[in-house]
Amino acid sequence: MSFISASSVKYRYEDSEKNALNGVTLKVNKGEFVALLGHNGCGKSTMAKTLNALIIPDEGMIYVDGMDTADDEVTYEIRRNVGLVLQNPDNQLVASIIEEDVAFGPENLGVEPGEIRKRVDTALKTVGMYDYRTHAPHKLSGGQKQRVAIAGILAMQPSCVVFDEPTAMLDPNGREEVMRTIKTLKKKGITIVLITHYMDEAVLADRVIVMEKGEILTQGEPEKVFSQVNLLKKHSLDVPQSTELAYKLIGAGLRFSKMPLNVQECIELLEGALS
Amino acid sequence: MSIIEAKNLSFTYGLKTPFEKKAVDNISLSVNEGEVIGLIGHTGSGKSTFVQMLNGLIKPTSGQVLLEGADIWSKPKEIRKIRFKVGMVFQYPEHQLFDETVYKDISFGPRNKGLSESEIDDTVKKAAKFVGLSDELLKQSPFDLSGGEKRRAAIAGVIAMDPDVLVLDEPTAGLDPKGRDLLLSQIMQYHRERKNTIFFVSHSMEDIARVADRVMVMSKGRLEMFDTPKKVFACADKLESIGLRVPEITKIMLTLKDKGYDVSDSILTVEQAFTEVVSLLKKEGKL
Repeated sequence: MSFISASSVKYRYEDSEKNALNGVTLKVNKGEFVALLGHNGCGKSTMAKTLNALIIPDEGMIYVDGMDTADDEVTYEIRRNVGLVLQNPDNQLVASIIEEDVAFGPENLGVEPGEIRKRVDTALKTVGMYDYRTHAPHKLSGGQKQRVAIAGILAMQPSCVVFDEPTAMLDPNGREEVMRTIKTLKKKGITIVLITHYMDEAVLADRVIVMEKGEILTQGEPEKVFSQVNLLKKHSLDVPQSTELAYKLIGAGLRFSKMPLNVQECIELLEGALS
Repeated sequence: MSIIEAKNLSFTYGLKTPFEKKAVDNISLSVNEGEVIGLIGHTGSGKSTFVQMLNGLIKPTSGQVLLEGADIWSKPKEIRKIRFKVGMVFQYPEHQLFDETVYKDISFGPRNKGLSESEIDDTVKKAAKFVGLSDELLKQSPFDLSGGEKRRAAIAGVIAMDPDVLVLDEPTAGLDPKGRDLLLSQIMQYHRERKNTIFFVSHSMEDIARVADRVMVMSKGRLEMFDTPKKVFACADKLESIGLRVPEITKIMLTLKDKGYDVSDSILTVEQAFTEVVSLLKKEGKL
C-alpha cells in the first residue's frame, strides 16, 4: 500500500484568486525517495504542508500511512510520523545545547527519559553530529545546523521526512553534508520527499515530480523526466548540464542508449560515441 | 585604469585575544574600471570580510584599499562618502527592506545622498527599471512582493545610489532557476549600460563562469588565484583541493582531455562543449 496517497487535492489560500493546489493526485510508496521540482509559486511547498496536516485540502483527500489528514483525532500522530525540515537552519533550532535541541521533540511526545537519551544519541550518530552533542548550535556551520535539525526530527522516529529546500542557504560543502544525510535516511527505509531547485540533488531520487501552477506537469524516473529537455526549458526549469549536452548531441544526429544524469555517465557515453 | 586596489590587505578578528583569527591574509590586487570580478571560496574563506573592507565597513588590520588611487581610510571621518561610491548588496538583501512603499524604500539612499526631489524621482525610476520593477509595484508595500521581486527591490535601493563599484554578495541565493536567470541578466544589462565595476560573490560556479571577466579564488583568507574564468576553471584539481569545484560541463571536458581526447581545457558553457564535441566527432568520422 502507498504510504502517502493524495487524490484530486485542491487548496486555495485566503485572499488568493488562484488555487495553490489544483487537483493533485499522487502516491508515494513506503521507503521511496521522491523529488519535487518546479519554480516558486508552483505549489510544491503547499503540497509539502498538506503531508503533515499543516494544511488541510479544500477538496480531495490525503491519506498518510492510512490516516486521513483531515481527521483531528490523528493530527498529532501524523505530525510525529511525518517530519518537516525547512530552508533556514537558524529558524529551526530552539535550545542552547545541541542534545537538548534534539530532545525537544520526544520530550513533548512524553517519551520516557531513558528512551529519550537513547533516541537522541542514535539520531545524532545518524547525522554524524554526536561529537558535538554538548556544543551550542550557534557556532555550527549551516550544514551542521541543518543536520541537527534533521536529528531533532529523527528523535521522534518518523517514517517519512519532508525536506523543503534544505540546502538553499548552504555552501557546496554544506549541501553535500545534507545530501549525504538524506541518503543515509533513505537506506534506513525512511520515506523522503525532497523539494529542491538543484537538479544534481533531484537526480538522486527514485522519482522526480515536476509541478506547475498547482498541478503535476510530469513525473517519472530522473532519466525519463530530465530527457524531456524541451518541456523543462519551456517552463524555465534547469536540466543537469550533462543531460543538456547529450540532448544537443542527439539533436545533431548522435544516438545514445540512455540519457546521462551526471558527469560520470556523460563521459562514458561520449567515450562510447568516440570509440 | 585601475579603479580599486588592495595593497597587502589583512584583517584579523579578535586581535590580541585568545580568539584571534586571520580572516584576510595579505591580499594585493588591482581591478580595472568596468570589470566584473567573480569571487569564490567556501564558507569561512574570508570572502565577506574582504568585500566589506572595500567600502570601509571593516577597517583593515594592516594594508590599504585604494579607490581611484587614494586610500579610503586617509580621512576616517569621511568614510561615509566611500559608501556612496562602493555600493554593497548583502546576502538576502530583502531582509533589509523597511519602508512603507517600494518607492520610498528605493529612495532612501538617494535622499541621504542629498539629492533634490526631482533628482530622487528620476533615480528611483531608473533603478526600478534596471531591475524590472513596474511602476505599479513601486506603490505597493515591499512586504507584499514575491521573493524574487523583494530581492530586486532591495538591489534597486543600492543601484539608486549610483555606485561606481557594486558589490553583490550571493545575489541569486535561494531564487529558483527562472528568478536567478532573470536577475543575472538584469544585473548584466545594468552593467553594460552603466559600465561600472562589479564584485560578484557566488557559490554557483556556473553563474560565475557566465558573467565574470576575472575570478578571485579565496581560501583560508588568502588569494589563491586571480585570473580569467577559463584559466581558473582549467585548474580543476587545485580548486577541488580547496573544497571548490568547477562547473559540471567543464569537468566533463577536462576529464575527456585527461583521457587523451583533443578538446579544449577552457570550456565554460554547454554551447561551447557542444561545438567542441561535434568537431571532434566529425574529425574522427563518427558524425
